[in-house]
Amino acid sequence: MAQLSLYRPGSSPLHKLNPLTKLAVMACCLGAAFGFPNPYWVVGFYLLFTLSLAAWGGMLKPFLVQNAKLILPFFLSLFIIQGFFYGGATVLFPLGPFSYTLEGVEVAFGFTVRILQAIAGMTLFIFSTRPDHLMLALQKHGFPHQAMYLVVTTMQIIPQFQNKALAILEAQQARGLETQGNLIVRLKALFPMVVPMILGSLIDIDERAIALESRAFSKPGPKTSLIEIPDSETQKILRWCLVAAGLLLVVWRAL
Amino acid sequence: MTKTIAHLTDFSFSYAGSGTKAIQEINLAIKEGELIGVIGPSGAGKSTLGYALSGFIPHFFTGDLSGNQQLFGQETSQTPLSELAGRTGMVVQNPFNQISGARYTVREEVAFGLENLGTDRKLMDKRVNETLERFKLASLRDRSPYELSGGQQQRLALASILAMEPDLLILDEPTSQLDPAGAEEVFESVHTLTETSSTTVVLISHKLEWLAEVADRILVLVAGRIRGQGPPREILTQPDLEPWGIGSTQYTRAARLASSAADTSQPALPVTLDQAVGFFKPWI
Repeated sequence: MAQLSLYRPGSSPLHKLNPLTKLAVMACCLGAAFGFPNPYWVVGFYLLFTLSLAAWGGMLKPFLVQNAKLILPFFLSLFIIQGFFYGGATVLFPLGPFSYTLEGVEVAFGFTVRILQAIAGMTLFIFSTRPDHLMLALQKHGFPHQAMYLVVTTMQIIPQFQNKALAILEAQQARGLETQGNLIVRLKALFPMVVPMILGSLIDIDERAIALESRAFSKPGPKTSLIEIPDSETQKILRWCLVAAGLLLVVWRAL
Repeated sequence: MTKTIAHLTDFSFSYAGSGTKAIQEINLAIKEGELIGVIGPSGAGKSTLGYALSGFIPHFFTGDLSGNQQLFGQETSQTPLSELAGRTGMVVQNPFNQISGARYTVREEVAFGLENLGTDRKLMDKRVNETLERFKLASLRDRSPYELSGGQQQRLALASILAMEPDLLILDEPTSQLDPAGAEEVFESVHTLTETSSTTVVLISHKLEWLAEVADRILVLVAGRIRGQGPPREILTQPDLEPWGIGSTQYTRAARLASSAADTSQPALPVTLDQAVGFFKPWI
């Protein structure tokens, strides 16, 4: 099923961690990305800590593929722009009026590894955490369930609405609506597509609200959960340690 | 004595911004354990009646209301909707809109209402498993609700409400947006419900053959007014139904044609397959 979430189902120890612990891991990864003064330390952290966690979560290959996909545009733009325009005395090669310098490459390398580590921390979290589990964990700590509902539902329903939009597009095309061509043709096609979508959605809202109320959505009082989100004292301590480590790294760099 | 679950007395309602009454002067008492079929042409006020019986009128749909409206012995207007949730349940036409969107598997979807009611996890687990078995959803338990067919989604919507064990269930044309196979799945689920529970059900539908099989009482609604109510065979064989655009069951139509062709008059026309077999036996 199409979803906005990039969660990859699994039963690894990483998957089984409390979502808040994984959130703390992400905070630590972000702290390491931007906190270590030397970019080579960031590389070391990525290789030793982040990749080990990805392997522990049984998702090393898709994790690396995702990292590569996301870092590639940064890598290309940073190495080109910084290499040519940062300046510096050590010219690696000239290109017309421009010089590609070692100093520029070093700056680009620093930015790239920090971004890579930040992306990796977030990927680790997103790949191993089901959004509704995160919401349940947050709800347990007092976050309003209506807000949690909105976040999780959006992730599941937007792809469904995309399908609906596609169905409307096909239906209107079947009635002879021109949707291909220049800007004016496309703008003209927008109206017969948007109107059924909005009207349909307004009708859907009533039914959806009735369905939710029938399921006691707005009933006051404590909610329970079928799913047990695992947690332990060890994980609670670990969370604090990870967040503190991330913060310390950032403070260290700032000082 | 059987308890009255819902009671409407001289009840009329018009939606806010609408000058016309969607339902008017309705007098209806629904007894515990009854299965009432509601029929009528489009725009007759069937859904409005369903909303009035479930408490969505006046709490969700506002407008001009007159008469008396009671649910479970209390004035509906005095009982918050959140308090009625769990006691009344409503299944609407579009199965897709009834998927909460907040849960990732069929099993969790069934539990969603129970979670909102604050049901203990152990009891919830038991009820969810029982409901999945009862509505033949157990094999789909780990699937995403969005991966199911329309019929399966509507069965899931029904199961999700019934897991909450409501006293009164309103089914508002639950098969109208389904293909014949999907509709058949829902028919089977309602049969399962009638056989295995004493839940009071109000079933709004155009499928007269289905209503004839399951309903204890049929209520005819035309232009917002009740035009008749009684046992299925008595109501569904009335010639008045045709001019109101309601029609009659295929068994009744066949029997009527056969009777007129044979120039004989039989005392009671059939509305179900069993009755039709009995009716046509003398001709075979």
